[in-house]
Amino acid sequence: MKTIHRTLTALLAAALVVAPGLSAAKTLKIGSLSPLTGPYAADGNDIRHGVETAIALWEAKGGVPGYDKIEYYPQDSACDGKQAVSAANKLANLGVIGVVGAYCSSATIPASDVLNEARVPVLTPASTNEKVTERGFKYMFRVCGRDDDQAKVVAKFLSQQLKVKSIALVDDKTTYTAGLAKNIKKFLKGTGIKVVAHEHVNQGDKDFSGVLTKIKATRPDVLYMSLYNPEGNLMAIQARRLGLKAVLMTEDAVYHPNYLKIAKKAAEGTFLTYGQPPSEDIPEVAAFINAYSAKYGQPGSYSAYAYDAANVLLSAVAKVGADDPAKLAEAIRATRMQGASKFIQFDGKGDSGSTYKVMVVRDGKFVPYWDPDTGKLY
Amino acid sequence: METFLQQMVNGLTLGAVYALIALGYTMVYGIIQLINFAHGEIFAAGGYIGVITLSFLQSRGVLEAHPTLGLVLAFALAMVYCAFLAVALERMAYRPLRDASRLSLLLSALGMSIFFSNGMMLCQGVYDKAYPIQLYSTGQFTVGGAVVSYIQVYIFVGALILMIGLNLFVNRTRLGKAMRATAQDKVMSALLGINANRTITITFVIGSVLAAAAGVMVGLYYGSVRFDMGFIPGIKAFAAAVLGGIGNLTGAVLGGMIIGMVEVFAAGYLASEYKDVFAFIILILVLYFRPTGIMGEQVDDTRV
Amino acid sequence: MSELVLQDVSVRFGGLKAVDGLSLSLNPGEILGLIGPNGAGKTTVFNLITGVYRPTGGQITYQGRSLLKMLPHQIVRSGIVRTFQNIRLFKAMTALENVLAGRHSRTRVGVVGALLRTRVQRQEEQESVARAEEILRFLGLHDKRHELAGNLPYGLQRRLEIARALATEPKTLLLDEPAAGMNPQESRELMDLIETILERGVNILLVEHDMGVIMGISHRIVVLDSGRKIAEGKPAEIQSDPRVIEAYLGGMSAGGAARQPEG
Ligand SMILES: Nc1ncnc2c1ncn2[C@@H]1O[C@H](COP(=O)(O)OP(=O)(O)OP(=O)(O)O)[C@@H](O)[C@H]1O
Ligand SMILES: [Mg+2]
Repeated sequence: MKTIHRTLTALLAAALVVAPGLSAAKTLKIGSLSPLTGPYAADGNDIRHGVETAIALWEAKGGVPGYDKIEYYPQDSACDGKQAVSAANKLANLGVIGVVGAYCSSATIPASDVLNEARVPVLTPASTNEKVTERGFKYMFRVCGRDDDQAKVVAKFLSQQLKVKSIALVDDKTTYTAGLAKNIKKFLKGTGIKVVAHEHVNQGDKDFSGVLTKIKATRPDVLYMSLYNPEGNLMAIQARRLGLKAVLMTEDAVYHPNYLKIAKKAAEGTFLTYGQPPSEDIPEVAAFINAYSAKYGQPGSYSAYAYDAANVLLSAVAKVGADDPAKLAEAIRATRMQGASKFIQFDGKGDSGSTYKVMVVRDGKFVPYWDPDTGKLY
Repeated sequence: METFLQQMVNGLTLGAVYALIALGYTMVYGIIQLINFAHGEIFAAGGYIGVITLSFLQSRGVLEAHPTLGLVLAFALAMVYCAFLAVALERMAYRPLRDASRLSLLLSALGMSIFFSNGMMLCQGVYDKAYPIQLYSTGQFTVGGAVVSYIQVYIFVGALILMIGLNLFVNRTRLGKAMRATAQDKVMSALLGINANRTITITFVIGSVLAAAAGVMVGLYYGSVRFDMGFIPGIKAFAAAVLGGIGNLTGAVLGGMIIGMVEVFAAGYLASEYKDVFAFIILILVLYFRPTGIMGEQVDDTRV
Repeated sequence: MSELVLQDVSVRFGGLKAVDGLSLSLNPGEILGLIGPNGAGKTTVFNLITGVYRPTGGQITYQGRSLLKMLPHQIVRSGIVRTFQNIRLFKAMTALENVLAGRHSRTRVGVVGALLRTRVQRQEEQESVARAEEILRFLGLHDKRHELAGNLPYGLQRRLEIARALATEPKTLLLDEPAAGMNPQESRELMDLIETILERGVNILLVEHDMGVIMGISHRIVVLDSGRKIAEGKPAEIQSDPRVIEAYLGGMSAGGAARQPEG
């Protein structure tokens, strides 16, 4: 049943690809998948508004070369795999040449199964789960960061810049911190850095003397604290008090003035990974913010990513047209573009790079320290 | 061995803090059979008064010149403030319900706990407040490889002095005897001329003063306070009081030390994420074999 | 002038009138016996005088002042103290500490004094201990002063109750069945003791079932039955009063052997 369904979809898609060549007036159809109703409706509508803003700016410039007009089909994917699949089928049947979406990874993954087979490029502005781009799909792209971006930067920094021999990890078992610690371990494989301890604490704990004493006995070069703010502050103080000499490193959740205020001297020299938003001085960023806020108010967390996703798609169409999906995907992959969210540049998997930088605490301030893209100190 | 020694030091410090808080639970339970859930929040309030005092002195530039004076002032103000807080708490939330059912009293205590905790959040914000610890927690020395910081010594010795003081107070003084008498038989005590209300108030005050001291110590030791800091230590100190035999002072100290030790050693030798679980397993085991707690029946002469 | 006066005092517990229109007075230098069958309301009278219960009607005065507005610990301060029918010692405290607890209302050092260990405080503490030891010696308990009250033999526990009561420096002592459970020898010693206390200027209201004791030392006797006073007079008059005999026989045959525990 499913195979028949897919075959039909593919046939239909193939027919549609051929069809535009026959008609004189060319319409460019693009779609989006995001939760327009339900608990995530706010983010979902931000995504739609981001796409609409991009289309509006293209139209203001006279549209996409080779096309008379742009038609936009925003679909409600909820945060639900089944609904996302049926919405994806609908979009494929409509003959869209590309889709921005979806929002939840659990919707993006099954929806992209359908769309990849139909050879419709999908650009997600919000799904950070690693699996999204780990399936070898030719038509799957990610404009936002991915869950393991930070871990990659950490591993690269430790092995290429600090060149340490051993590390101890601590997380607090929450999805975010535990996932981060797990990924760091994964990316450290093959670098020669030994994980000498991986401990877990609880959120709300105040006293870490027991676990730190245990870690101290393993003599790590680095203590990586995959924790949130209050626990991170406390652990830094206690680690130094215990006489732990290891370099302290932690993540963006600890990047907060309180870390400096509370841990004080103990915070000095701590390295942190932190995803910096682009400066509003960049013209591309300013243009987006002006256009968006004029119509929809302040941009939400995913507005800029959706805007960039639509721009990447439309720019690629402007270059190679949309008649050949394979060519279109190639053009997307070749994108080098300053976006509203970051500088976009896809890798072989379809990921567009992260904004994570390594910061250091120096004289009671967070200071940029190392750029993972260039592998150089600031 | 070095690690073991270090864990002992860690455990003693943590245990001393739990013991100080546990004393307040056990004293109040001993005298009116109430689990004063708001006790943890009184401890937190002590921590806040400490940081407010120290920060104020620091902003006036007095603290750098007179760190010891600042510390004395922080402890004194925290203790006085919490004493008043305790009087108000007892008067308004518990005394009117003295003859009501135990459940009403318990609910009132829970309500006060939530009220205080939210009150602190509204007044002081949700973020941690930093203690100016750089003035106090710098020095340390090593014993057999274990690092002992001065602040740990201060906490341990301070707690010890307070506990010995409490013991002398309860056993040697007129009011201490009144407390013990009231705990054993309120009617009889009244018929001997002991004012039960006053004695109960004094009990609350003493327990709260100890908790306030613990609050400042914790602020100095961990470097920050937070509106919800009373919750988890409160539960652990309560567990310590039950473990030691609720109503028994020696038991509370012993219970606090045991919980502190178990926590640290479980984190150090077993799994850190389950340290609380181990502490509660010990509690359940002890209660299974001795429902009245460790010191429950035998030595109830220090009961208040 | 009468020291302790009850006028038309009543109290009810639900439907039960435990004390019903009782009037009596206890004069200086007097031992007044209060007797009656089980459940007559004797202990309730003690509870009313000492402020444990509030009367639903009537007046109680002591040295001309009403006791009705006072709390139990204030009544003790004015000079009235009682013992209990069933022993209520602080079992987890030593004999000396029990007596010292009784000294509470006669001492005054507060929290601050105790914390600072002022000279006044130490002096008061010493004096208090000296007084307590003197009382213990008077009751023959001195060598047991460091024993836990709960570990003393029964007879001594009874004495300790009296010692603790005396420590409050009372002018009026209410004794609720002090001879209960004592052998004849102990009862006789108790009678001597009560008379010595009387000689020291304390008047006594005595509830006792032991007729030997009550008839032997009471100056006057009030008889209660079902909360009402049914007779009052000298021991000899009471012994021959038919109403009293009737009440006791009736009370006995109603199965009065079962004692009411009391508050
Ligand atoms: N708190 C109370 N609530 C209800 N009833 C009470 C209370 N106290 C006493 N009573 C009742 O009042 C009556 C008088 O009791 P009380 O103890 O005064 O008798 P008593 O003369 O001391 O008897 P006994 O010789 O047994 O000591 C009894 O029926 C008793 O059950
Ligand atoms: Mg009686």
